[in-house]
Amino acid sequence: MAPLNSVKSNPPEENLVVVIDDDEIMRLSCEQILEKVGYRVETFANGHDGIRRLQEVGSPLLLVDIKMPELDGFEVIDRVRKLDPSVAIVVITGYATIETAVDAMKAGAYDFLPKPFTPGELRMIVDRGFERWRLIKEGQRLRHEKEEAERKFITLVSHQLKTPLVAVKQYLDVLLFSQQGQLPARAVEWVTRSQVRLGEMLTLIQDWLALAKIERGRCCDRGMGTQIAPIVDDIVQDQRQLPAASDLTIDVALPPTLPPVCGDRVSISMLVSNLIGNAIKYNRPGGSVSIRAFTGGKQVTLEVSDTGIGIPKDCLSHLFEEFYRVNTKETRDIPGTGLGLVICNRIVTELGGSIEVSSTEGRGTTVLIHLPVAETQTESS
Amino acid sequence: MSESKKVLIIDDDRDFAHAIEALLQSSGYQVRCACNGRDGLHLAKTLRPDLILLDIMMTERTEGFFMLQEARRVPELSQTPVIVVSSIYADQPIFRVSPEAGWLPADLFLPKPVDPARLLAEIRRLTDAAYSPISHAAGGRRES
Repeated sequence: MAPLNSVKSNPPEENLVVVIDDDEIMRLSCEQILEKVGYRVETFANGHDGIRRLQEVGSPLLLVDIKMPELDGFEVIDRVRKLDPSVAIVVITGYATIETAVDAMKAGAYDFLPKPFTPGELRMIVDRGFERWRLIKEGQRLRHEKEEAERKFITLVSHQLKTPLVAVKQYLDVLLFSQQGQLPARAVEWVTRSQVRLGEMLTLIQDWLALAKIERGRCCDRGMGTQIAPIVDDIVQDQRQLPAASDLTIDVALPPTLPPVCGDRVSISMLVSNLIGNAIKYNRPGGSVSIRAFTGGKQVTLEVSDTGIGIPKDCLSHLFEEFYRVNTKETRDIPGTGLGLVICNRIVTELGGSIEVSSTEGRGTTVLIHLPVAETQTESS
Repeated sequence: MSESKKVLIIDDDRDFAHAIEALLQSSGYQVRCACNGRDGLHLAKTLRPDLILLDIMMTERTEGFFMLQEARRVPELSQTPVIVVSSIYADQPIFRVSPEAGWLPADLFLPKPVDPARLLAEIRRLTDAAYSPISHAAGGRRES
């Protein structure tokens, strides 16, 4: 007998009913009743032949007698479920055997039909079985289409959209750098504005791609263990050089004995980078950023606070909404995608932690990230 | 003025190559461009540039990367400073694509679009006589 591990390569015949029953009269009746209303029927006297046929050509519905001498109905159910769980299995049960019927359902049968049954009853059950099969297939198709669409979208955004944007910005960057002296003032102004807007688009694409990656589960690895101190140091060193940080004091005080946290290096970097970036961006001239960490029980808490413009009270509940940005006089000229905190929230959630934001408008903001301690450290700096 | 240094740009993005060529020429470098790995390798062998600017991907996803590996097998090119650029890898945390990570036999990675001032400073540094390149021929890392 052919191995029961193959999936049919041909699409199943969409109106085929397979009948397995050792009783010849039952086989003929089913055939007659169902062919009259447009189904195609193939009948088999034993389970082996029927299952072999199902392997060759899929069928949405199987009618099987529960009690047969060779392979009994329960065995058939078991094998067919393993072969293709989308097949609707209707068991034909004998006289007054309701327990058997229930057992069959528990074993994976879709429905049962007690003998004696009328042609109408048979047709109705078969119709319903087909309907169920169609819905399952539709669901599979839609899921597959959705994944395809997502994949195409991500590729489109990352390659096709980004590449020309990068080329345009490169021209403008070089132009301004080498030709600034020769360009009229207005040209310099407008080219500068164009650079800023392009920069915003590129950052948005970057953030959107990061979010898509996290949502597809292709990003955060809770099973890894990472030391946050070296990551914080790297990022602070990097961001200290940004123009926005030039007049700020950045103070890092992380205890040397901090345990590793759950998460991979890339995710933790994205998290820390966003938080420190915000603390710098939304700060005030001569202000400061302070980064600390504590251990408490099975958690490590990272605290990033700034002496910046703060967040108005009524905006706090919206902070984790996609594209939300506080819209005040002070924030108008600060670039941002509205995705930074969304990304942080998703990462933190994926890693089994939590995030808290507290703020006083005009005084500053403090963000706390709580991450579970990792069993072992897997990532070294 | 001493003989100007030669830079080879290998990138399939004509606009990027054009913009950077203009930038470098106005800073006194001689510039040649190739738009695929094969031509780039050929030019590198004949030109013996003082520095190569290479896009890590190009039309085939790994074209730049493989070209770089090929180039390092050529003795005359094993110590040539190489700056690798990419728009696609631009948003990876820098440690992922930094040469220290052991992933690329290059000397520096810069995300696109490149900052003109930064690029010029890095090229100056990497083509300076004092710079000791990463020894790629032996597959080794820089000792410092």
